[in-house]
Amino acid sequence: MILPVYAKINMTNGEWERFPISQELFSKYLGGKSLGARLLTDLTEPGIDCFAPEAVLIVNTGPMNGTGAPSSGRFNMTFKNVLTGGIASSNCGGTFGMLLKKSGFDGLIITGKADELSKIIIEDGDIHIEKCPELAGLNTEEAQEKLPKRYGKLVIGPAGENLVRYALAASGERVAGRCGAGAVMGSKNLKAIIAFGTKKVEKYDPKGFAEHTKKWVDALKKHPMTGNGLPRYGSAGLLSKANASSALPTHNFSKGQYEHAHDISGETLAETKLVRNSGCVSCPIRCERRVKVGGKEVKGPEYETLCLFGSNIDSNDLDLINAINYDADVLGMDTISLGGTIAFAMELQEKGMADFGLKFGCVEDLRTAISDIAYRRGKVGELAEGSKRLSEKYGGKEFAIHSKGLELAAYEPRRSTGMGLGYATSNRGGCHLNGGYLALMESVGVVSMNAQTPKGKPELTVFFQNAMEACSAAGFCLFTMQAIVPSLIFKYGSASFVSRAFGQALLMVRPVLGKVWHLMPWILPVNMMLMPHSKSIKLATGIPMTMGKFVTVGERGYNTERLYNLREGLTCEDDSLPDRLTKVQQDPKRKDTVVDLKTMLPVYYKVRGWDSKGVPTAKRLEKLGIPVEQRKEG
Amino acid sequence: MAYRITDLCIGCTLCARNCPVGAVVGTVKQQHKIEEKRCVECGVCANFCAKGAIVKSDGSVAEKIPKDKWKKPVIDTNRCSACSMCVVACGFSCIKISYPVKQGDLDVFAVLVKPEKCVGCCLCEEACPLGAITMKEGGAK
Repeated sequence: MILPVYAKINMTNGEWERFPISQELFSKYLGGKSLGARLLTDLTEPGIDCFAPEAVLIVNTGPMNGTGAPSSGRFNMTFKNVLTGGIASSNCGGTFGMLLKKSGFDGLIITGKADELSKIIIEDGDIHIEKCPELAGLNTEEAQEKLPKRYGKLVIGPAGENLVRYALAASGERVAGRCGAGAVMGSKNLKAIIAFGTKKVEKYDPKGFAEHTKKWVDALKKHPMTGNGLPRYGSAGLLSKANASSALPTHNFSKGQYEHAHDISGETLAETKLVRNSGCVSCPIRCERRVKVGGKEVKGPEYETLCLFGSNIDSNDLDLINAINYDADVLGMDTISLGGTIAFAMELQEKGMADFGLKFGCVEDLRTAISDIAYRRGKVGELAEGSKRLSEKYGGKEFAIHSKGLELAAYEPRRSTGMGLGYATSNRGGCHLNGGYLALMESVGVVSMNAQTPKGKPELTVFFQNAMEACSAAGFCLFTMQAIVPSLIFKYGSASFVSRAFGQALLMVRPVLGKVWHLMPWILPVNMMLMPHSKSIKLATGIPMTMGKFVTVGERGYNTERLYNLREGLTCEDDSLPDRLTKVQQDPKRKDTVVDLKTMLPVYYKVRGWDSKGVPTAKRLEKLGIPVEQRKEG
Repeated sequence: MAYRITDLCIGCTLCARNCPVGAVVGTVKQQHKIEEKRCVECGVCANFCAKGAIVKSDGSVAEKIPKDKWKKPVIDTNRCSACSMCVVACGFSCIKISYPVKQGDLDVFAVLVKPEKCVGCCLCEEACPLGAITMKEGGAK
């Protein structure tokens, strides 16, 4: 077995050392966000500030990164969440991860704070830190142009340097957007990390791995979602269905349908603005949009950006959304948190509670306002703190759309109650992906599951949260999981009997799904093409991986993250959503158009093997092999 | 293991400028040096060396292959998934993913856009996870 090599870098004195990862740790956590959570817990004292010099930033890959397995170009950043105070993990598809690995390191553990703005240079198994005053103030695009051409780069923009709480880190045009990774880099005076090397990424069974990869790529290419839907429309393709299901956040999540939804849909984007599609390195799915902004070809918006800078602020200006998407990337801000915070500020203005000069539907000066936020200029600069902190200052907590402090992605949970539960329980805060992404089955995808019932949702949420956690830990893109949905359903469409029957069947297996976790991993001692990830890991690393062990890696990671949150002072009270989503019916005539967290949470805790306060039980932790002494009562 | 440069080197810089991974360092008219950790033993430096100053890791002089015999990538467009592994691997941006021929065309693949810049290092072939690239003398016919 080839064990990962990590480096521990101290920004304060510029020293670094190799940090060994044991075989036990590797087999249990694989890498990425799960191993990141373990290391963050072990290497930091409880209660430190996210910007303190002793705070740790982990930039790591998973075992699959650089192997050439489909969609395995992703790397992870783990740190103390700038918005929530709990765990943060942010995932990015740039080339930095692969080149970091080729430079001889699987992960970096960065601590300390440099006196002046600096960059970390990693070349062929060696690391050094250099001052970089010439990069100060540059946006993510300019900074990368000034750095050596072929290196994998991870940089921050002005927003990161100015500690905007949702600042991102960019690698090429791909970004680690959520939770404030850029702000943590900024707090360490770390403008850039660059890596280059030629180390081969060894595989345990190269021949078997190559065969499995071919088979898997063929399956992804043939699947209607990963072979057609995503490459053709990107994630933007979800927008029309979201609108039809009343799950398209509109006017700061007060409505679920937008009258001009067609103008900002994936179809319109593809027909009128799309230059071509593209993708992260090693990805055959290629969901990235390429559009023109100011005559230059740049990365196009994802579904979330289209909604949060479209329907959620009452705007149907697709050109402006493309431009804002570009601005946010180069200034260095997460479009989800930025969009959510702007919509909240607009509602504060509408209700006369604050004046930031932002109004729903008035988007002419929005690009200027976004620039001001990145530089924390003027009154609108206060938005750099995020919606939770704004609501603490100006009021409006009931319509500050976040969970734990992280703004919600663009899925209206009152028409996707499982997604609501996912947002509330997600370890990093209001995130759809960390939350299990049931919206894809309930309201925005091709499966027509009953979106309003709370029944079955906790069980399915736990399953998808764990599976997606494991997928990320290994270094795969979560979109590879979309091929789990049978092709037949796409053939007949979301309104068909097949689609409804599949959705219903998933809900009906809840008694089984709810009880299988204590039987894992032995209940699934196989590898199947349904979830090809586990076999791929086995062939690449030599870890005797099965599907059961794979989802158990995810469960272990999820529990480790949860323990970190509890240690840092978060409790079951934080597994919540704003009152607008839990108390105000989206449709006044339908009682079930609220997120019934009260019903779902106790079931969710039970399925997870947690006590009534959401604390993992000692028994469950022992079973998962997580140190029980780290358990703390909530 | 890596290639090495002997004192026959006259410092013409050709190998340094054409190494696909930037493993050769040195200044004009000075003996150059190959960074051991960086070298991928592709032999491109030897193809540019007029003095026979490049030796393999076993000490034997690396063979100089004439330019018209260099191998070039031939891409099986049916097999290629446009995953860009080869694009990232190429040191001279010789390979790009093709543009769609019409609106909505998803059938794109890797293309050798600058065959004249290709030094035949085979890094693209090694990087391709699907075996869609084969190095052939003289390239695609």
